[in-house]
Amino acid sequence: MSGQSVVQRLTEYLSRVWAAPVIIEAFARIPGGASRETYRFDAIVAGRRHPLILRRDPPGSLIETDRRSEFLAIRSFHGKDVAAPEALILEEEGAELERPFFIMGRIEGGHASSPFAPNAYGVHAQAIGEQFFSMLGRIAGADAASLPIATVAAAPEPDACWRRELDYWANVIETDQQHPQPIVWAAIRRLRRDPPPPARKVCVVHGDYRSGNFMHDDAGKIVAILDWEMAHLGDPHEDLGWAMNPLWNHFDDTCVAGTVSKADAIGYWERASGLNVDPAALAWWELFASVKGQAIWISSAKEYRDSGLTEPILAFSGWYTARRQDEILADALAALEAA
Amino acid sequence: MTPTIPEILAGNAAALSSQAARDDAGDYLASRIGILATLSILAIQEVENGVAARVAENAAIRALFGEALAYDAELLGRLKDATAQTDHNLALSALDAANAELRRLLIALHEKVEAAPDGALEKKILGLYVEMARGRRLVLPGG
Repeated sequence: MSGQSVVQRLTEYLSRVWAAPVIIEAFARIPGGASRETYRFDAIVAGRRHPLILRRDPPGSLIETDRRSEFLAIRSFHGKDVAAPEALILEEEGAELERPFFIMGRIEGGHASSPFAPNAYGVHAQAIGEQFFSMLGRIAGADAASLPIATVAAAPEPDACWRRELDYWANVIETDQQHPQPIVWAAIRRLRRDPPPPARKVCVVHGDYRSGNFMHDDAGKIVAILDWEMAHLGDPHEDLGWAMNPLWNHFDDTCVAGTVSKADAIGYWERASGLNVDPAALAWWELFASVKGQAIWISSAKEYRDSGLTEPILAFSGWYTARRQDEILADALAALEAA
Repeated sequence: MTPTIPEILAGNAAALSSQAARDDAGDYLASRIGILATLSILAIQEVENGVAARVAENAAIRALFGEALAYDAELLGRLKDATAQTDHNLALSALDAANAELRRLLIALHEKVEAAPDGALEKKILGLYVEMARGRRLVLPGG
């Protein structure tokens, strides 16, 4: 298998799985974060062209997520008005491609904006924000137990959602930190001292629902929600807290996700989900979001070093984003103390 | 710690000198080059400000310790030693090593303060965190 290109291996795999000759065209890697290798390609079989995306595990993975969980999360919401792609093939053993991967339908006509680009949505910010938070509401409002993801994602007890997540990410920091982190540890202690109320509903949590993880058409329409690899079951406020983190506000403190006001975002979400936001719960999950973020950036820095300094996106996450998250955390802790 | 300047520059050099896979051409390579450029510009800021930021942070933490000396007997010896120190070696690596020890003490002190509780010192510590984080701020190009 060594010496063969990814295209050759993919051609062999699909020809075998589809029991028909397959021609791969326009194969190219696209930016998609450091946790997966992402490629776009067209597969031509029986005279028909299929626009597809390949997501494959890299040699070392930043976030230890289950690709089956990601695959089933996407499958859970395809066709449910949340712009989830069509999940087609899951290969957990790697087969001809040697590392686990999955293939999904490619959605055309859109692109993802950097969350660090000011005014990314321009005159379409209102429309984008309404769709963004409404789609999140539909995810939260869905009956998780009836969805494919429920077959692999454990449902925590409503009063245990917070502890499971906080324990997990605190452990990531404990394991991966390479310099003492007084600010994030202060936040963790505060979160433990004042846990949130139990989740009113255990729902599907996207896990990385934010500006930068959806594609839009530059004309006010969201065409795809991306990056479902951290999907799990939990408190619906978790995704809201993450989406509203200042890190994703495009440097505009007057809005969330670079789109609409916080109040409007909550309104869209409540109408779409059929749920009501609990302010105390949301405040907790907002601070948690910064802890989770910092855990990811700390891991990025460690992975950058461990992988031989070869992935610049890890350097950026472990450096610029980590510094900015510390500032967000410090400001949040000071504001909570002053309240 | 966050990646150091030598690591960033070494990583950038390695990425620029490595041969890109054919499949990586196009959007992926353009994005990767953009990140390398951004890292280089951020490195300029760190070269300009990194020493001063660390010296200031270390001094601010020591100053806070000076206010806490009468507070906690268990930490007293370690806090006193830290307060008496100054940063003579201004190499980033030496400043980072001193900073790591100061931060470990700061975490220990903050935990004691929370347990007491001591609202006045708590407020000073949280104010110090804001100062520390802002002192290390990096600004993206065009920002």
